[in-house]
Amino acid sequence: MPMFEVLTPLSVLLCLFGVLIGIIMGSIPGMTATMAIAIFLPATYALDMINSIGLLIGLYVGGISGGMVPAVLLNIPGTPSSLCTTFDGYPMTQNGEGEKALKVGITASIIGGFVSLSILFFFAPVLASFAIDFSAVDKFLIVVFALTVIASISKGSLLGGVFSGVLGVFISLIGRFPDNNQIRLVPPGFEQELVYGFSLLPVLIGLFAIGQNLQESEEGLVAASHQKIDLAKNKAKQFKFRIFKGQFVNTVRSSIIGTFVGMLPGVGGSAASITSYSQAKNFSKNPEKLGKGEPEGMIASESANNGLIGGALVPLLSLGIPGDSTTAILVGAFLLQGIEVGPLFITTNPDLWSGIVFALVIANIAMFIMMFFSIKYFAKIVYIPKHIIFPIIMLMCVVGSYAINNGVMFDVWTLLLFGLVGYIFPKVGIQIAPFLIGFILGTQGEKYFIDSLKGSGGDLTVFFTDGPLAIGLWVVIIVSVVYAVIDNRRTKKAESAS
Amino acid sequence: MSDFFTIEMSYNTYHIIFPRIILGILIILGLILLAANIKKVVGKEGNGVSFKFFTENYDKLKLYGTMILLIVYALALPRLGFLAASLLFMFAITLLYIGNVKLRSIFISLSNSLATVLIVWYVFGNLFSITLP
Repeated sequence: MPMFEVLTPLSVLLCLFGVLIGIIMGSIPGMTATMAIAIFLPATYALDMINSIGLLIGLYVGGISGGMVPAVLLNIPGTPSSLCTTFDGYPMTQNGEGEKALKVGITASIIGGFVSLSILFFFAPVLASFAIDFSAVDKFLIVVFALTVIASISKGSLLGGVFSGVLGVFISLIGRFPDNNQIRLVPPGFEQELVYGFSLLPVLIGLFAIGQNLQESEEGLVAASHQKIDLAKNKAKQFKFRIFKGQFVNTVRSSIIGTFVGMLPGVGGSAASITSYSQAKNFSKNPEKLGKGEPEGMIASESANNGLIGGALVPLLSLGIPGDSTTAILVGAFLLQGIEVGPLFITTNPDLWSGIVFALVIANIAMFIMMFFSIKYFAKIVYIPKHIIFPIIMLMCVVGSYAINNGVMFDVWTLLLFGLVGYIFPKVGIQIAPFLIGFILGTQGEKYFIDSLKGSGGDLTVFFTDGPLAIGLWVVIIVSVVYAVIDNRRTKKAESAS
Repeated sequence: MSDFFTIEMSYNTYHIIFPRIILGILIILGLILLAANIKKVVGKEGNGVSFKFFTENYDKLKLYGTMILLIVYALALPRLGFLAASLLFMFAITLLYIGNVKLRSIFISLSNSLATVLIVWYVFGNLFSITLP
């Protein structure tokens, strides 16, 4: 399908705009790609689907890529997925190679973007066509799998992660059950407001943006330490594409790792970056140099985190399960337009599917051109004071929540309530990401659970006897839980040893 | 309940089957978590390990100020309308974050407030015709 039959000129423009804003937001320490998309989600309300896709994909790519700017210049990852970018990027800045580091990162990013895009392009339709035949039992087990993976990957206590996920499911059940139109779990006095439960968007931006905001204000909005950035004038320290010579394997390997880590439901960007960085270190000819300012490490981290984008879209577009918190917000965008993501998405919406692919192509190219040639200006963004940015974010959150259901004041209160939740939860050891994924998947899980039981007449053993696929899924679930327990023990041991 | 692995399915109670199961799991998990934490606290007794909710020397003014301003803003929106309530909110919160009342800070807050609110009002309210409070 020709590109411009699918994409309208407006959607291309919005995509470019999204990339620009994404880079800017990603560059501000404390602002993540997730938040960028959450804030702009309400704006898509007035757009049609293809235009919103352009904008959101642009924000996603720009936001993830922009995260490298503060990581390299200030040693603060602008977005969790640029965590490992700091390992080599910041030492390079200290050596006066800041600009070179950024350009290495930008180039690695676009390669990562394209590798993951091609995997998405070939893999998602195959997985989707396979998933169409899934029974209710299989679907229920996939939801369970998504929840166990999230809980197991999330840092901190494993139990806390599981608890948080189940709590998210529980909160999502508030309201009406569509099958028999009965209301449950609604506190008296709120029957009107909570018929459909809490709306997704205020919950999302409350948890992420407002929670983060309260956290920052508790810390007094300390400005990032100002430091003169010496963008190299020295010829020897300038960027040349020759740096990538001999890094081909590293680049492609990191991109692929990023993509496949992204495919695991619920696994965040930091995991992609860490996995590929440690692999780069394992395979490197001189591993002792990594972490001291080697372009090799920059390449590993940045190609992986852009690879993540295509990967995270695979489970979303083929199974309807978000790959990370950012794609979880994309679910919100689709729902706003009345489109359900799931196995049938690609076949029933071929235009949207190619729109997404083309938007990714445009966004990646735009990201490269914008960042490569004007990185000096983007570098200044890291110094925008927080006292200007945070009030703007809060205003956008309130406006967004209010507008999402066409003017419901209760949604603003939902936003504030979950903002408080997003502030308190991390403090008492409950991670937000599992809660969010649980909240999103909860109602789906219930539907498949009840459907399965209807089919079996209430016999719970149906979940084990449904067929080979169900048994396979149980194996995967058990493996992921066992792995998590072992991994958790190992981390604890390492912690207590140090 | 004759068989542990069978759930009675009747149309009228479809809506409470799943919540009950989830609530059950939640309570069990909560109890395990509680037990684990009590064990930890008891085990570490004497080491002076105590749970701290706030970071050290946390900024009380900005934290509680933000919470109160947000609540006041939400209360004011339906009464004052979008423009007035937002202008006041943006001004107050920017000033709170700068942390002093010098002329320069007031000027910054004022311009941040005016610029943001007017742009949001124009772009969202008029261009995209999104319902504003």
